Amino acid sequence: MRLSRLALLLVVGVCFTPMPALAQTFVFGAQGEPVQLDPAVITDGISSRITRQIFDGLVRYRGSTTEVEPALAEKWEVSRDGRVWTFQLRRNVKFHDDTPLDAAAVVWNFERWWKSGHAQHENQVKAGQTFEYWEAQFGGFDDKSVVTKVEAVGTHTLRITLKDPQAPFLANLAMFVFDIASPRAVETSGTEFGKRPVGTGAFKFVEWKPNQEVILEANPDYWGGKPKVKRVVVRNIKDNSQRLGALKAGEIHAMEGLNPDDVAVVKRDSSLQLLLRPTNTTGYIAFNYKVKEFQDKRVRHAFAHAINKKAIVDALYGGTGLVATQFQPPSLWGYNRELRDFEYSPAKAQELLRQAGFAQGLSDITGEDGKKEPLIFWYMSRSRPYFPNPKEIAEAMAADLAKVGIKVELQTAEWAVYLDKRKNGQLSLYMLGWTGDNGDPDNFLCYFFCQPGASREGFYANPALADVLLRAQKAVSQVERARLYRQAEQMLHDDVGRLFIANNQPPLAFSKRVKGYVPHPTGSEYFHTVEVQ
Amino acid sequence: MRRYAIQRSLTVIPVLLGVSVLVFGFIHLIPGDPALTMLGERATPEKVTEVRARLGLDRPIWQQYGIYIGRVVRGDLGVSIVRGDPVLADLLRRFPATVELATAAIVLAVALGIPIGVASAVWRNSIVDSLARLWALTGVSMPIFWLGLMLAWFFGVELRVLPTGFRLDTGTTFAPWTNFVILDATLQGNWPVLADALRHLVLPAAALATIPLAIIARMTRASMLEVLSREYIRTAEAKGLSQAAVVLRHALRNALLPVLTVVGLQVGHLLAGAILTETIFSWPGIGLWVYESIESRDYAIVQGASLFIAVIVVGVNLMTDLLYAAVDPRIKYD
Repeated sequence: MRLSRLALLLVVGVCFTPMPALAQTFVFGAQGEPVQLDPAVITDGISSRITRQIFDGLVRYRGSTTEVEPALAEKWEVSRDGRVWTFQLRRNVKFHDDTPLDAAAVVWNFERWWKSGHAQHENQVKAGQTFEYWEAQFGGFDDKSVVTKVEAVGTHTLRITLKDPQAPFLANLAMFVFDIASPRAVETSGTEFGKRPVGTGAFKFVEWKPNQEVILEANPDYWGGKPKVKRVVVRNIKDNSQRLGALKAGEIHAMEGLNPDDVAVVKRDSSLQLLLRPTNTTGYIAFNYKVKEFQDKRVRHAFAHAINKKAIVDALYGGTGLVATQFQPPSLWGYNRELRDFEYSPAKAQELLRQAGFAQGLSDITGEDGKKEPLIFWYMSRSRPYFPNPKEIAEAMAADLAKVGIKVELQTAEWAVYLDKRKNGQLSLYMLGWTGDNGDPDNFLCYFFCQPGASREGFYANPALADVLLRAQKAVSQVERARLYRQAEQMLHDDVGRLFIANNQPPLAFSKRVKGYVPHPTGSEYFHTVEVQ
Repeated sequence: MRRYAIQRSLTVIPVLLGVSVLVFGFIHLIPGDPALTMLGERATPEKVTEVRARLGLDRPIWQQYGIYIGRVVRGDLGVSIVRGDPVLADLLRRFPATVELATAAIVLAVALGIPIGVASAVWRNSIVDSLARLWALTGVSMPIFWLGLMLAWFFGVELRVLPTGFRLDTGTTFAPWTNFVILDATLQGNWPVLADALRHLVLPAAALATIPLAIIARMTRASMLEVLSREYIRTAEAKGLSQAAVVLRHALRNALLPVLTVVGLQVGHLLAGAILTETIFSWPGIGLWVYESIESRDYAIVQGASLFIAVIVVGVNLMTDLLYAAVDPRIKYD
């Protein structure tokens, strides 16, 4: 009898222990586990969301834009030829380990990223890490880099000399990868620095419980003002529905990675709010230019009129998608607002096909060797922000194409195989997309179109376009660059080089108690402005 | 008996060798270049070559296997491709969470499954039996994934009486000694943490226990029915023993033997089920870890963990077989 009463008590106690109050803590639900917390060697959004709270860069993006504003550097100037940059660092800033932030510390960080012989660079490479973004944004390591000299010309004055002017230089420096780490902490921890990060940011690292959560606490001496919450907990909840469940149950305050179907659920719930990240991602269809039929511009043009982008965006993006007219998403300053997109018109598409000699429709294509084969439309096996439901989107497009007489066979491949075939130019017609890294148009356009005829771009060769893009990369004035990028988009559009389908604005869900969260196109947002009521 | 034990133990060696070949081979069976999968859209040819060399994928396959097995024998499961941490250390740190969950689930399954099975057999074709069989059938065919989501939704989101996931509440400061949180909290006398840990354990354990519970209940029922029709049961009844004594002392003891085997076999299913259950409930054991590693294509972890799980399953089955012989003295092995 006594035993059963005890058991009953235990069960009741277990069920009704009150939830602890979370007032001073902001709990964010992430989609997975951070890789590590050393910003210099990571590339993923889950890790960088956390490092952005612990570290600062010389400059940062303003609000929800990709324009650059001061951070650890208060001001800067650039020489007339665009090669020498001088930064004035903010005074009285300290790393969380109490060492001072000065020009010497920043020089040390640059040398670590840039010089392959630097002890703290070499050990990372030996451990299998790479300074991938330094290589991508600054041309490579050592002599290959566009950076030729980084020096401290005063305790708080830093001078960086470049081989050639690099227009996206400041936008590059604002990326999370180039946030400044405490040299002493890196030297003490070595390759373990990613588990014990030390920066100057609004929050200090406290603890990382593997597969569970990362805990940060407010840095009361933060140069940008004291954070509004005392603690930040980033919880790892793998499953999208379960994460939404935790949000509804009040166990977390915010989450990313919402299923498109759940957007409506969040909108309906009076205790939740929905925020959208400004779009920074574009999904497209690419042609293989080795295919004889696709070399005829009228055929590509017919595709452009045949696909009903708006219907696809309305039906399959949960209300967070936008129709894309060009490669750059509208949030970029090189975006061409004047550009008139091809209208949806099956009649026009049929007319164009007729003119091109396909009055009976198009279902077979001719390869380089003259052999006929069925037209296969390759769709992605994985969901990405630009195509959240690749299969459904591909089916909708195939149905649109069928209406004008273009019959495609849908086919997919395991993600690695897909990327491999794409790289080798083996896909005749395929879907893919891009998510921007730094808000610079160069990051979208040049990666794809600066090497005419590359197999990974379906052998698309447009040297005039490449020329405009390379000029835009070197030009110093942003006004001039913007003009060149608008021109490039128009050229790409007029040639129907590729079909841009949709931009997506990744949705974030929040408890209504959260105020002050500013979503950013790059996905790395700051938590120090966040309040939990 | 000793001879049997030795013989039975020796059969483990070829099984484990086979497992190692499978686990090693699977990285080469997946379509596509693992290096390319890891690098994704941004892969440059130089990067791919570099990663292939780092993973040793550029060597002949027999050489790769030789190197691999040599390391495994020395207890080296390699390092995580994504994070660079030693796989074995990470595995051992996460294993207690899985053991805790699996133990809770098996205790729940046995504690409920056997009585249900016995009741079902004793009151055969009664309403109790029909309900129990219906429930057992549903339990066996229920996808854990769906059940877990429903449990979390109902008890966590709608009723808000139990947490939807994790082992402890956010911000609980607790320094475990062994990573067996319930054991540690009990040893440290930290009752609030113990209560918190138990609250978090209820739903995942219930989800994970559903299938084994149903299987154990069905097995117990079948085995009991068989034993109850034996002549010595009639003799016992004829002697005038109470029904409870007949059922519990005479029938159940004999009926439990096949059930014991089934319980042993469930350990493998529990570890497999733990991958889904842990993912749904954000339970930081090896299941969630394996799931994340599959997603991030961390082949070293997937290989290491698969091998580890296989060793556990083989070991538990070996123990069950040996136990079987020990429990039932009538069984002779020659």
